[in-house]
Amino acid sequence: MRKYSVSLKQWVKILNSISAEIDIFAPIRKDEYLDYEQLTEDNIMSISYNKAIPTTPLKSFFFPIKENVVREDEDKQRVILGAPACDLSALNILDKIFLDEQFLDTYYKDKRDNTIIIGSDCYEISENCHCTSYNIDPYPKENCDISLSLIDYKVTLQVFSKKGEKFIKRFSQELKEINKLPPEIQKKREETIEKLAIQNKDLPNIEETRKGVEKEGTIIWKKYAEDCVSCGACALVCPTCHCFLLIDKENFEKIKNWDSCQYPSFEKVAGDEDPLAHIYDRLKNRYLCKYVHKPDMYDEIACTGCGRCIEACIGKINKNELIAEVCE
Amino acid sequence: MAENNIYKPIKYKVDKIVEETSNIKTFFISSEKDFEFDTGQFVEVTLDGIGEAPYTPSSSPYIKNKMELTIMNAGYVTGKMHQLKGGETIGIRGPFGKGYPIKKFYGTEILILGGGVGLAPLRCLILTLLEEEDKFKKINICFGAKTPADFIYKDWFSELEKHKKVRLLRSVDVPDKDWDGTVGVVTVLLDEIKANYQEINSIVCGPPIMMKFGAKKLLELGVNEKNIYLSMETNMSCGLGKCGHCDMDGLYVCKDGPVFTFDEVKHTTEMKEFFRLFKDK
Ligand SMILES: Cc1cc2nc3c(=O)[nH]c(=O)nc-3n(C[C@H](O)[C@H](O)[C@H](O)COP(=O)(O)OP(=O)(O)OC[C@H]3O[C@@H](n4cnc5c(N)ncnc54)[C@H](O)[C@@H]3O)c2cc1C
Ligand code: SF4
Ligand code: SF4
Ligand code: FES
Repeated sequence: MRKYSVSLKQWVKILNSISAEIDIFAPIRKDEYLDYEQLTEDNIMSISYNKAIPTTPLKSFFFPIKENVVREDEDKQRVILGAPACDLSALNILDKIFLDEQFLDTYYKDKRDNTIIIGSDCYEISENCHCTSYNIDPYPKENCDISLSLIDYKVTLQVFSKKGEKFIKRFSQELKEINKLPPEIQKKREETIEKLAIQNKDLPNIEETRKGVEKEGTIIWKKYAEDCVSCGACALVCPTCHCFLLIDKENFEKIKNWDSCQYPSFEKVAGDEDPLAHIYDRLKNRYLCKYVHKPDMYDEIACTGCGRCIEACIGKINKNELIAEVCE
Repeated sequence: MAENNIYKPIKYKVDKIVEETSNIKTFFISSEKDFEFDTGQFVEVTLDGIGEAPYTPSSSPYIKNKMELTIMNAGYVTGKMHQLKGGETIGIRGPFGKGYPIKKFYGTEILILGGGVGLAPLRCLILTLLEEEDKFKKINICFGAKTPADFIYKDWFSELEKHKKVRLLRSVDVPDKDWDGTVGVVTVLLDEIKANYQEINSIVCGPPIMMKFGAKKLLELGVNEKNIYLSMETNMSCGLGKCGHCDMDGLYVCKDGPVFTFDEVKHTTEMKEFFRLFKDK
């Protein structure tokens, strides 16, 4: 894996010239929110590097909120800069679902193929980050084309894929190739891991969580369900939730629209039978899906520890408190 | 964009509509292109701009340019389907799911238990079995309906009885004055069948409650859990194992099913709750 170094000043120039040709999206802070915005000359200086976590999950670039999946559309090449490791790891499950060979989702595939992902290390974590509790390191290790770290006005880039290699060729004459990652990076990474360990010291691990969720009957689900308003925000912000509904339009067109098992009648069948009739059934289903069913189906838990659902919950349900309680 | 779009329906024409009962119709549809499917697999049918719903073809998979769908008016989309007059264009996606493992049935005695509109997929299955009738020891068919008028495929039964391997038994919950057959829920027919239940392959399709009582009775008669095939009905949207709607305790019915052995679904909430009812008795 080739590695390069470049000054921040030079890097900004590079981004400026690329953004004239290709759409680049990067996390930019607005008030208290950090989220992806398309780069322009005006906001390039405000990119938030190496900080958790963009409000919008990475999935929305490949699996948009709404998409006409019958009409043909041309996907343009684009760059996503600053994807955190948790969101990158979520692509494992999404790829298994949408790139499944038997039923290949070409809309998802085209977007994956046409997107260059520049992942980034997390040096500042947010209060609900808990990736390491689920065995994900807080820096890119998979599913990106290039990774980026910014320390003391120096940008370090590491190439992960052929696509990344090809992309970097556009401006490699402006970069300095290096043999090893600078030691500051290793130090920062260790610090982040340490912070996460302290922040989540009481959080059950994957195996404990699975056992807890599986054994819990209804009492704790009912307790938390009292605060749930079925808004579905937890699923919408979740980087691994993939549920959708096909909505029919004229001319046999179909809109693939994000959906959620937290909405009433998600599983309702004709004759009004509904396995998820109660809010507590749906709440339970969410955690079963993440920690029991997905591991059985795809060898992977469907929670990356990004913490977004905790932040997004209108009813102030803290998933980690809930998990700790079912594991007691 | 690649040409194989999993979301795009193929156009079919509605050639003819036959009224089977007061709330069930059979739609005869055709397309220019051949369509291959295995018996027990299902298709997603689009009504343009209205909605999509899953159905199992009721016609033989040996016929490739035409298909029959037998559909009960059960709600919004099926209600709109029932308003069709013939001549319309509808959309088909599929085939989806795993069908019946016909080859596993070779050389065995078969027991088919069906109720209501559940006869639709069973008709497809029976037509498939009859293509190779000599491969099976015997084909016992038990059909039930609420009243004699509620049977679908009324003209088909006399034809079925002509096959020497077929034994057809029918029951109704409520008889009319002409009914001379069995009265009672369809599972009572099982008492009339003398078979070696330890070795039989049984296929059940009908309303969810019938499916469960059917499975229970077959288990009591000694049928192996792995030889009881059930069709599970769940909500569905994509049919592709992606949208999550058909989840049944970690199984995607559209991909892992819709046909399951009892052994494969006995751990599900639905089955466990049903069998719990009888635990203490
Ligand atoms: C594998 C399989 C095979 C089947 N085979 C047959 C068969 O051969 N014959 C038969 O009669 N029935 C069959 N069914 C049942 C049939 O699919 C349902 O009766 C039908 O889906 C009911 O749809 P409805 O809109 O009329 O009912 P409703 O009660 O109105 O809707 C049922 C559910 O469908 C969803 N829904 C309703 N409208 C829309 C819409 N516009 N867009 C998206 N979703 C919507 C909703 O989530 C609702 O909860 C089968 C079901 C499955 C799963
Ligand atoms: S948690 Fe619910 S919305 Fe998310 S993937 Fe699982 S079933 Fe779908
Ligand atoms: S369940 Fe919550 S913490 Fe886990 S990946 Fe989804 S949004 Fe993030
Ligand atoms: S119907 Fe979409 S996953 Fe089964």
